[in-house]
Amino acid sequence: MGPLAQLGAAALKVCEPMSLLLMIAGVTIGIIFGSIPGLSASMAVALMLPLTFSMDSSLGMNVLVAVYIGGISGGLISAILLNMPGTASSIATTFDGYPMAQKGEAMKALGVGIVFSFLGSIFSFIILTFFAPMLAEVALKFSFPDNFGICFFALTMVAVLSSGNMVKGLLAGMLGLIFAMVGLAPIDGIARFTFGWSELRGGFNTLTTLIGIFAVADILVSAETIGKGVKTIPVKKVKGFGFSFGEFFKWIPGAIRAGLIGTGIGILPGIGGSTSGMLSYVTAKNMSKHPETFGQGDPEGIVATECANNATIGGALIPLLVLGIPGDGVTAMMLGGFLIHGLSAGPLLFVKNADVVYGIFAACMICALIMLIVEWTCIKAFVQVLKVPKHILLPLILVLCAVGAYATNNRIFDVQSIVVFGVIGYLYHKFALPTTPFVLCFLIGRMTEEYLRRGLMRFKTFGAFFQRPIFDVFFFIAIAVVLWAMFKEIRASRAHK
Amino acid sequence: MFFKKYGDIIVGIVYAAIGGAVIYFAKQLPRSRVMKIGPDFMPMLIGIAILILAVMLLLSALKNFRLNAKKAEYSNPDTADYKRVLASLILVVIYVNILAPVGFIVSTLGYLFLQIIVLAPNDRRGLKNILSYAILDVIFVLIVFYLFRYGFKIVLPAGIFTL
Repeated sequence: MGPLAQLGAAALKVCEPMSLLLMIAGVTIGIIFGSIPGLSASMAVALMLPLTFSMDSSLGMNVLVAVYIGGISGGLISAILLNMPGTASSIATTFDGYPMAQKGEAMKALGVGIVFSFLGSIFSFIILTFFAPMLAEVALKFSFPDNFGICFFALTMVAVLSSGNMVKGLLAGMLGLIFAMVGLAPIDGIARFTFGWSELRGGFNTLTTLIGIFAVADILVSAETIGKGVKTIPVKKVKGFGFSFGEFFKWIPGAIRAGLIGTGIGILPGIGGSTSGMLSYVTAKNMSKHPETFGQGDPEGIVATECANNATIGGALIPLLVLGIPGDGVTAMMLGGFLIHGLSAGPLLFVKNADVVYGIFAACMICALIMLIVEWTCIKAFVQVLKVPKHILLPLILVLCAVGAYATNNRIFDVQSIVVFGVIGYLYHKFALPTTPFVLCFLIGRMTEEYLRRGLMRFKTFGAFFQRPIFDVFFFIAIAVVLWAMFKEIRASRAHK
Repeated sequence: MFFKKYGDIIVGIVYAAIGGAVIYFAKQLPRSRVMKIGPDFMPMLIGIAILILAVMLLLSALKNFRLNAKKAEYSNPDTADYKRVLASLILVVIYVNILAPVGFIVSTLGYLFLQIIVLAPNDRRGLKNILSYAILDVIFVLIVFYLFRYGFKIVLPAGIFTL
């Protein structure tokens, strides 16, 4: 049977009432976990894992996929309405989504986010279905130096993100790098900057850092002006998804670019959705004819991020299914799901359990559709959040964040460290330092060092990295981007005088 | 005003100090015996980069000091309510530190109620409002506790009060 016929047969099975019902439940749970800052997609998958135990293997895996897709997409809701990314993947959604919501365009922003989440997912699932084995071979060609090249490229994006005041942007990012260094060093496991604290040996958790920088800092920043009275944000009513066909077609090229970036980053193990959303956002800003509107509430920013972070799902499933290599926390949980059901992910899966594989492909597409319908029907309910006065809403969110931070590792230390990051976030606000470079550097810092050192271990010298074409491409693009950003910065400051 | 006038200078000085400290601590890290690049390499690189950038920021801030000071004078005076900021910070610090010993239910009941009152605008602090905050507080804490405990099977710190 060809792939299309197998996909069709699997789709029929997936559409059985029981399986559909479970998938709707899975997507909904995923959306709830994704949308609440502090609860993450990987936590949702971890919680659902034991529940799939009693289901048959195909159904069990489909439910996990449903939770995964809902979880990644749900992050956009809180990112747009509250300026707090529900998951790390939707950090860049806050840049334009929140300003839009403040202007009364919350429903339009949500509509754009939801539709392009859906399109990004579908885009990557089509690639997954038809090209998975081929792309997995490409992924195998990536070695440590190449991954280092990508991380280096992503780090240089800080320079671009902070155009206008580059020195401050870079400084803001450097602190994030320092926090990423805390803990046991990669490879030799030497404790760095732990000052004898055993809790610090594990380093700071990504989730707690995000919660601190966004949720705790937001309480402190809001406290400055909140006493002056309750102000509610107007919400303009919209028809359909809130945008016209003309706008939709204008955004399509950007969406395809974002889909390619998202799927590409997803395929490479270990880099993940948070990086892909951010990279796609910066690329869109750089290639745009009107970069100055980015960050002021430009729907194209939402298109770039949401399309890319959802496309990462399909990408991340490629090495998982074909090679049995999980790319991030969520896919690692999924690998656990495979083991529970007695399946071994890897090349043989396609031969032995083709029905499960095509079942997953079909489930992916149908779950994306379910996500679109569920989120769209709930838009009106979501925007009600804006009606809750901030002095009540923010403390409630903080409690949820504290619980989420605790639940990740069952460590009270993680809850305590949100205060540190909250204070950093507040001070950054006071001294007009941007927080995005901090977050980006924190996310990528550890990976960058690890790939660099692993690469050096294998290839002995840094010079040998340059013999690898993939590394060269990313490295030299990164250098060119930095030089271009510096040139623009200097020119702007001269013109200013 | 203060932040606009002296902000960049303070940032420059603080970062220069951080850079210096990072270099100092990186020097104390052992070098790798098998590779050229050991665990001290990245921290050292970051420390040096911070120091250079901080000096650059300081120089430009000092150069433009008069210009910025003039700008700051014409800008709006700082009306931020630092009492509420400080009170919120203290509450959060207390909350995360008593969460484990006192337990989720009791500490959250206390924190949530006080935090809402701290943040509430003056005209929302009447007796009726406070009563409604208290009711909301209790309902929310119980929902979260039972949802996590029995829905998600995540045991929150029990502290002095076990259920």
